[in-house]
Amino acid sequence: MAEDLVLDTAIRDWVLIPLSVVMVLIGILRYFVSKLMRSFQVPDPKIVKEGQVIVRARNLRGAANFIPPKSFRSRRVYFSNEENGLLFVPKGQAQNAQAQMFSDPNIAMDMMKKNLSMIIPQTLTFAWVNFFFSGFVAAKIPFPLTQRFRSMLQNGIDLSTVDVSYVSSRSWYFLNLFGLRGLFSLILGEENAMDDTQRMMQMGGFGFDPSKSLSAEKDGLDIVQHDWALPKFEHRAEAVLKKLVS
Amino acid sequence: MAGQGDSSDKKSKEVMNDVSTFRAENLQNNMKVVYYSRTFLSIIGGAIAGILGLTGFMGFILYFIAMAITSIGLIAKAKFSLHSYFDCWNRIILDGFLGGLMSFVLFWTFAYDIVHIF
Repeated sequence: MAEDLVLDTAIRDWVLIPLSVVMVLIGILRYFVSKLMRSFQVPDPKIVKEGQVIVRARNLRGAANFIPPKSFRSRRVYFSNEENGLLFVPKGQAQNAQAQMFSDPNIAMDMMKKNLSMIIPQTLTFAWVNFFFSGFVAAKIPFPLTQRFRSMLQNGIDLSTVDVSYVSSRSWYFLNLFGLRGLFSLILGEENAMDDTQRMMQMGGFGFDPSKSLSAEKDGLDIVQHDWALPKFEHRAEAVLKKLVS
Repeated sequence: MAGQGDSSDKKSKEVMNDVSTFRAENLQNNMKVVYYSRTFLSIIGGAIAGILGLTGFMGFILYFIAMAITSIGLIAKAKFSLHSYFDCWNRIILDGFLGGLMSFVLFWTFAYDIVHIF
């Protein structure tokens, strides 16, 4: 292993600090740009209605134990009976809704804008880092790592004698990319924190299908074990009062 | 500790042993506060570790100490009655324990390089 390298102070002043500052500023810029580009869509009344029905059903499920059995049963029938229950989706309609979702250009457009606002700045920063700062050591991580990490941390330097804990500037960029997520969630609100990772996951479910969540909620409501809480509350109150009196 | 101011606005006062009286939104808000505090503490902890010039294991130990301090601070903030705010102990002690590690390493490296390497 080579002994300690001496890094020029100019690298700190002109690479390390500017790179990090630029990454932070670009993150903030991206946040505001994507905020500006977010188009306002007039919500479809049908979708809003379905969403509200789901919220109501969820509330009923959550608070099921606070109402008497009879009221709970009648409410459940109101939501989930097979004829005109609010959560019941006729077979044919489900397909329809999905097809319409796919053909609506606005949704795809919105999706694309969001993704572009994420990808473009990243590509640009990466190109910038590559162009100006490629091929030298910019930092040193303060803990030892095994050889395995060499390709990850010394991206852009092809020297096998340099200690693995030295980080090339390109890899410093990647470290920043992942590590700054926490900082962004602090300074920009949680909205931004879930941007990168979670949105990628959501991408799998591109054609979000409201009828699916309706029937899921219906199933959830159907299996609720109703257990009225009020008698227990009386016992509890009795116990508490007894304790107070004695 | 930052961002905990609103941890008092929620909650279901009663601790029922049999009936759950939690509201999902409030619980989620509490979790958000926990997550914020952890991120904040891991960034601060990273900067501290870097400025002190800790290397290797010592730094990670400092991270765990910082996380433990966060947990203790949050428990103190909840006035030691965890069940008014969370449904189980794991929520405050373990959740998001490793989530701040990346930020910690970044700020640790950054501060360490600026102060000690050059």
